[in-house]
Amino acid sequence: MARREPSLFARLIVLISLVLTLGAAALTTAAWYYAREAANEAYDRLLVGAAYQMAEAVNVQGGVLTVELPVSAFELLALSERDRIFYKIVDTRGRTLTGYGDLATPESEAPALGGPDVQDGKFKGTAVRMARTARHFSDPSVRGRVDVVVAQTTEARTTLARELTLRAVALIMVMSALALGGAVFAIRYALRPIGRVGTALLDRDPHDVTPVSVSTPRELRPFVSATNEFITRLRSRMDLMQQFIADAAHQIRTPLTALKAQLELLSRQAMDPQGRQHLCRVQERVDQLSRLANQLLSHAMVNHRAGAVPFESVDVVEVVRRAIREAVPDTLDRDIVTALELPPLPVEVEGDAISLKEAVKNVIDNAVRHGAATQLTLRVREQPRMVEIEVEDDGPGIPPELWSQVTERFGSSSSAGSGLGLSIAADVLSAHGGGLGFQNRAGGSFAVIMRLPNEMRQNR
Amino acid sequence: MKNRGTLLHHGIAGLCLLWSLIMVMASKVHAEEPKTFPALLPEQEALSVHAATDLLAMEPLIRGFQNLYPNTRVEFVEYVTNDLYAAAAEACQGGQALGDVFLSSSVDQLVKLANDGCARDIRSPETVTAPPWANWRNEVFGFTFEPVVFVYNRGKLPAEDVPSTHLELADLLRLRPEAYRGRVGTYDIRQSGIGYLLAFNDSQQTTTTYGRLLESLGRSQAVVRCCTSEILDELEAGRILIGYNMLASYAYARVRAGADLGIVMPADYTLVLSRGAMVPSRARNADAAARFVSYLLSARGQEVAQREGFFFGFGGETPPGIEGASSIIQTGVARPITISPALLAVQDDERRRRFIADWSRSLVEMSPE
Repeated sequence: MARREPSLFARLIVLISLVLTLGAAALTTAAWYYAREAANEAYDRLLVGAAYQMAEAVNVQGGVLTVELPVSAFELLALSERDRIFYKIVDTRGRTLTGYGDLATPESEAPALGGPDVQDGKFKGTAVRMARTARHFSDPSVRGRVDVVVAQTTEARTTLARELTLRAVALIMVMSALALGGAVFAIRYALRPIGRVGTALLDRDPHDVTPVSVSTPRELRPFVSATNEFITRLRSRMDLMQQFIADAAHQIRTPLTALKAQLELLSRQAMDPQGRQHLCRVQERVDQLSRLANQLLSHAMVNHRAGAVPFESVDVVEVVRRAIREAVPDTLDRDIVTALELPPLPVEVEGDAISLKEAVKNVIDNAVRHGAATQLTLRVREQPRMVEIEVEDDGPGIPPELWSQVTERFGSSSSAGSGLGLSIAADVLSAHGGGLGFQNRAGGSFAVIMRLPNEMRQNR
Repeated sequence: MKNRGTLLHHGIAGLCLLWSLIMVMASKVHAEEPKTFPALLPEQEALSVHAATDLLAMEPLIRGFQNLYPNTRVEFVEYVTNDLYAAAAEACQGGQALGDVFLSSSVDQLVKLANDGCARDIRSPETVTAPPWANWRNEVFGFTFEPVVFVYNRGKLPAEDVPSTHLELADLLRLRPEAYRGRVGTYDIRQSGIGYLLAFNDSQQTTTTYGRLLESLGRSQAVVRCCTSEILDELEAGRILIGYNMLASYAYARVRAGADLGIVMPADYTLVLSRGAMVPSRARNADAAARFVSYLLSARGQEVAQREGFFFGFGGETPPGIEGASSIIQTGVARPITISPALLAVQDDERRRRFIADWSRSLVEMSPE
């Protein structure tokens, strides 16, 4: 037994989910990164603006560096409502003019240029964003650079970044859900032809060895054509086998005919009663053998025709007439009254006339050989959707517990029969979409009923 | 001759002032003895309130709080604003605990403390209802609405002289310097944080008017005191006729107590101060402190404050008998001092030094010729 493989659907969904999850994770990380950048950029402008305003407020008055910090600089920073503000102004000699003396002056790459420099930092254990700008004085009394450092805690930035990220994540989630839903739908849609091919193969008649003709997507064509190739090979082998059986049966019949003629000649000569008894047995066995050969031929023919010969309109009444004509000569050794109860008009079904005739012949033959004591009745009845051919005899019939067995090949174990007759009939009827039934009638008679659908005809 | 006389006069005036300053500082620099409100029921916890707020105004609120939490003993330590700030800043820097709640009218100092990481975040249903301008970081809350007004002695100040704007006050002092010499009182902003905050905000409102007013105050030898109560005492006694930049709540308390004082809300602009409450980060009983602040902000606390302590409500409701009070909020005259980091500009050392230096030069050192 092969290891149970996960279904295609499961494989695809797992793979797609994996890709989507990884993608969502990557996108979320990117969104967080970009949101932080955006938040920093937005709030850095406030920080730099405040630093500029503070730098602007530094003046030299009477040879002394003075600073009067504008309220507006703090109002600007207060726009990020919850953030704490730290600042310091360092004079030309490196002393803190005002503000938080313990605030570190961030190292700037190119302080001489005096452009604003914003970076992350720490103050009193709190993460802050620090801006630094410088102002250069060339006053006679004050000469040099004055540094302005403004720092702000990062609550507003973090809040904004988180909000932006959450929104992006919501979008990513919606998109992923849509993609997954779409994938489920698409996979189901794409896998549907496989089920269709499977159903088409399952629904086929067991005797149908014609190629599969379901339309399939390109990807499934190798599979279907391989199946068809297999069917073709199977069919040619079956044909060969049938051919072989037919040939063999035919070959056996010729020596059998000669054997029968010799036995005929032999029976005319005088011989002791024991010898005659032996001869009689030999004659019986030869008859049995020749009947088996005939039935094998019939079986091979019927099987060959099934599925290979197109059905056409067949008059059941005519089929029954021919069958009785061909079957009766075999029954002449006993005195059996044969009655025909046939409708006056033709009863037509779709089918293969030769196979049907073989079926009816075999049923009659079976009845004559194993059943009918004195009476054989053939009826053709039209039922709704159904045509019934009934062969009734007054013989012992078949016990109901054997009914299911007798339609199998060599299923009847009686010494006189080959066990092929009823199976041939059953094969033919099932190839026509019908079936073989048995019935014990009141008065001790037994009926074999062959049912044929005539639905197609009625529909037309 | 004249020069020498002036100099002498100057010297005497300076000495007098210095003496009074020393007296004031001697009596006010250190926190007063704590006043204890014992728990109504068996005591389970203690709450230490360090306040730069009159106990008289706070007492109804403390009692109201104890009605809700009868197992709490409340200690009330009274300070002058600057002393409270100095003590709090020192405790915060040194990592020591000082009280559970700070109350100060000088909200700029509380903002500065919060900015330096000395405050604790409080969240409760009540703190959410505080108006946005009176809440910073859920750390500093404004719990009162106190217009900053002119107070005058009804009996002694002629009705036609009652100023209705800052400019009228300046003009009155400028035109009649003799009549008002030494008869106008205001905060000494060197000692009083609230005085400094109000003066700073005055200077931000209109530079010219503020300059003229400062000059006029200087010319008329305005009396400067550490606290509203002292000026109100002198107003009641009639030694001072007009008090400038007084907190309406304290003045109205005097009026209710029967003092013959008039209160004017300036018609050009009326500063509105919201007294700040803050829980220090190292509070011993932060839980009770948070409950106390929540109580101050709650509808019950506000109602008590409006009825018995501070008399004005956040909606601009004013008690009867105040001039120019036709809803300062609706007429757009109110200028609330927003509790925000913008107040850090007020607390900048350099700026403060220069501002007080200018103020001192105009008001104290400059004596009339």
